[in-house]
Amino acid sequence: MAGAAETRLVSGDTSRSNAVAAAAVALAAVLFVTSLAALFEVITISDPFAGVPVVTVLGGTLSLLGVAVITFGVGSYVGAVETEPSRSAGLVAAVVFGVVWFAVGGAVTSRVLGIGGVAWAFVALLTGAVASAVTAVPREDIGSTLPAGAVTLLAGMTFLTGSVGPAWVWELEFEQQASLTAEFAIPVVTLFCALLAGWAAAKAYGGFGARGRKMGAYLLIYLNAGSIVSVLFILIAFTAFRGIPGLLNGTEFGLGTGPTVFGFALPVSIPFVMHGVSLFNDFQGVLPAIAGTIWLVVGAVLFAVPLGVGAAIFLTEYAERGRFTQVVEVATNGLWSTPSIVFGLFGFAFLIPRFGGGKSLLSGMLTLGFMLLPLVLITSREAMLAVPDEYRDASAALGVSKWQTIRSVVVPAALPGVVTGVILGVGRIAGETAPILLTMTGGTFVPGERTVDVIGGFEFVSTPPFVANPELLRATTALPFQLYALITAGVGLGDNVSSPTEFQWATALVLLLVVLSFYAIGIGARYYFRRKLDYE
Amino acid sequence: MIGTQVLAARNAVTQQVRALSNFIEDQDPTALAVVSVMTGALLVAFAGFLSVSSLAIVPFSIFVVAAGYGWLNHQGLTARMLTFAMTVGTILILLLITVFIFVESIPVFVYESTTVFGISVPGLRMFTQAEWDAVSPPIRYSMVPMIHGTVMVTLIATAVAAPLGISAALFLSEIAPATLREAVKPGVEILAGIPSIVYGFIGFTILSPWAADQFRTTGQGSYLFVGIVVGLMALPTVVSVAEDALSSVPESMKSGSLAMGTTDWQTMASITIPAAFSGVSAAVLLGVGRAIGETMAATVMLRGVPQLTKPLYNAFYGQSTLTSLIANNYGEADGLQMDALFAAGVILFITVLAISVGSQYIEWRMRRKLGGEN
Repeated sequence: MAGAAETRLVSGDTSRSNAVAAAAVALAAVLFVTSLAALFEVITISDPFAGVPVVTVLGGTLSLLGVAVITFGVGSYVGAVETEPSRSAGLVAAVVFGVVWFAVGGAVTSRVLGIGGVAWAFVALLTGAVASAVTAVPREDIGSTLPAGAVTLLAGMTFLTGSVGPAWVWELEFEQQASLTAEFAIPVVTLFCALLAGWAAAKAYGGFGARGRKMGAYLLIYLNAGSIVSVLFILIAFTAFRGIPGLLNGTEFGLGTGPTVFGFALPVSIPFVMHGVSLFNDFQGVLPAIAGTIWLVVGAVLFAVPLGVGAAIFLTEYAERGRFTQVVEVATNGLWSTPSIVFGLFGFAFLIPRFGGGKSLLSGMLTLGFMLLPLVLITSREAMLAVPDEYRDASAALGVSKWQTIRSVVVPAALPGVVTGVILGVGRIAGETAPILLTMTGGTFVPGERTVDVIGGFEFVSTPPFVANPELLRATTALPFQLYALITAGVGLGDNVSSPTEFQWATALVLLLVVLSFYAIGIGARYYFRRKLDYE
Repeated sequence: MIGTQVLAARNAVTQQVRALSNFIEDQDPTALAVVSVMTGALLVAFAGFLSVSSLAIVPFSIFVVAAGYGWLNHQGLTARMLTFAMTVGTILILLLITVFIFVESIPVFVYESTTVFGISVPGLRMFTQAEWDAVSPPIRYSMVPMIHGTVMVTLIATAVAAPLGISAALFLSEIAPATLREAVKPGVEILAGIPSIVYGFIGFTILSPWAADQFRTTGQGSYLFVGIVVGLMALPTVVSVAEDALSSVPESMKSGSLAMGTTDWQTMASITIPAAFSGVSAAVLLGVGRAIGETMAATVMLRGVPQLTKPLYNAFYGQSTLTSLIANNYGEADGLQMDALFAAGVILFITVLAISVGSQYIEWRMRRKLGGEN
């Protein structure tokens, strides 16, 4: 947007002082990464790094960073560095630094001086107020660097002098005992200081003022976006890394090794996804859970998609916009945000007595269908509203009846949106545990021969309701529940499978793969349809 | 005053009745007959289903046959009737949920009544004392420890999800170059797709032992880390709703600001965010709703003992939330204890429904303020 207005004259102007600020940002980035590594015990803070303990190195770097930030701010204030600061650092910064220094003041009084109660609160409030004033009152270059630099310097000196060393522990003296240890406190404090000082340094790099603020804010926002993506990546990679050994346990390739499907033997055998649990298996697996999940999804889709799409048609095409559509909208949005466990309770109270009095696959299907319904309705409605009115008018002008128009113009045009919404919704319900907990699932391990076979289960009987399917009315299992059962089973698991941890992680991986493949298909479909629409 | 209102209401009703009778007169009589049969059969089938009768299949098959006949011969009207029935069905489900969980929880509300100033208030004792004991007398079903747990988890989760979510929404809607956005946006969606039990599993096997070690607590399970995990799970909701709100701010407002020579960030901070403020707060509110209703991660990671932490702000210990209470105890619960679980469900349902309606109201007001036609 405004990037177009930026001239080379401004952006190409990198003086020596700018280089110092850039170096400070880089230093903060290094500290940020190091503190994360220390937090997750990739590096240990008491280990030596180049002959000096890591905690001392952290302290030294923090002090350096703090001094650099303060020097830059003071330099700018006395006019040694050319910047364009605003009159004040602003209210948000004042509040943030007030809170930070309130905590610092409180921690120092209670830890070093050993004062509690009213005096503690007084000192903490006083430091917080002073920090707020220092931030808000002087010019921006002092206001945004001094509090950040000072807190960084203070933390650095504490680590450097050994006041807070690797053996430091703060007993919180709660009735339920808890303490802050150095392994936690030092990385977390370093992390916060790196963020604060990095922000101040980025502002300094931009020369304060409007441009400096943009720099500071963008640094934090980009960092946040990057962290979210890396958390996602780490979660998936970690599960895959831990789950693959269990998943591929006993895998064989070669003609005729796999189970027979439709009279044809698969050329690969992965016991984990092709067997249930039984005494005679060399390798145990989760086939019944996979089959259960598939049937659950099929049942929920068969129930929710016609209902949701039909209701969306009525709301967009037939109903006049008014009180009624508003009520339906509020109701669907309310249904959408209803907690999944409440759906489970409802299924328990409403469906179970009506389907034979016990937990059953059918109750699970309908409960998940209830959950899927609002999502299908909302997305279908959006897709139908997005169909231009010209389409409907053109069809009506040809003398086509209203229903014919809906069937052959509106629904096909809205289909991409509906399909995408359904797939994403299915991804969501396939991973749900809470609703099926109360309505469908039984034991921890289900033997392979009890894999549900709904199609083969239908039979006719002489008493009402005349059609029966024992497969549908039996408690079975599904992947998310299987994982939950594996977690809660704890120690007793070892009797059934040789390596419980491997089995758990492999189950988690299979569940993740099933759910994420729905998402991948859904997101892929959206791209495909959007590109197609763009060409048209 | 009231008289004119009644008159206006009566006018509206007569108008609708007239419109309906006109509509009926326009239709083919056989088509009308078919639709009436369908409606009647469906109502009877529904009544039969409600009264747990296996004979409900009979009217339902009549409905199916009638619908099939109608579809072949009078498709327009049949389709209209079917779609209407589906719409009613959706509302009916919400009503049924409300009725059924309320009805199931009545006994425990009656059991836990206390007298205040000589008037017996049902259910009050659930909130005035903090004892949950389903085994040894006096048997007490207090909701206070669970409400405390839910509040703790929700506060921490909101502290995580709100700032990170709003900042990510700003990134997606205002800052990110197109290519980067195409990479981050599906990432956020997939984050929403990871099943909660997988989060719970990772939390249980990795995070909880680590936290117990770091904070030297007795045993595992802390509100702090459940809150962080739940915050991560509520994050995608906040991001997507806040992003919608931010991008619904008219481009002309932003361009006007940029034309004054402001930086991107100044425009965001003083134009876009204030204009979208109500939408962004609705996003946070929906995130809070998600956090309150999150079940599996809390169930797996918490201790599952319905008690208050000591002291109340001790977030390094995690006992039980409203959701985890239900998931932990449904197995062995029966009678009054099961009803108490339904009471927890009622509290959850009402809270989250109120949040949902509130955020819809906020969004509606914002749309009206920005004058958008959408």
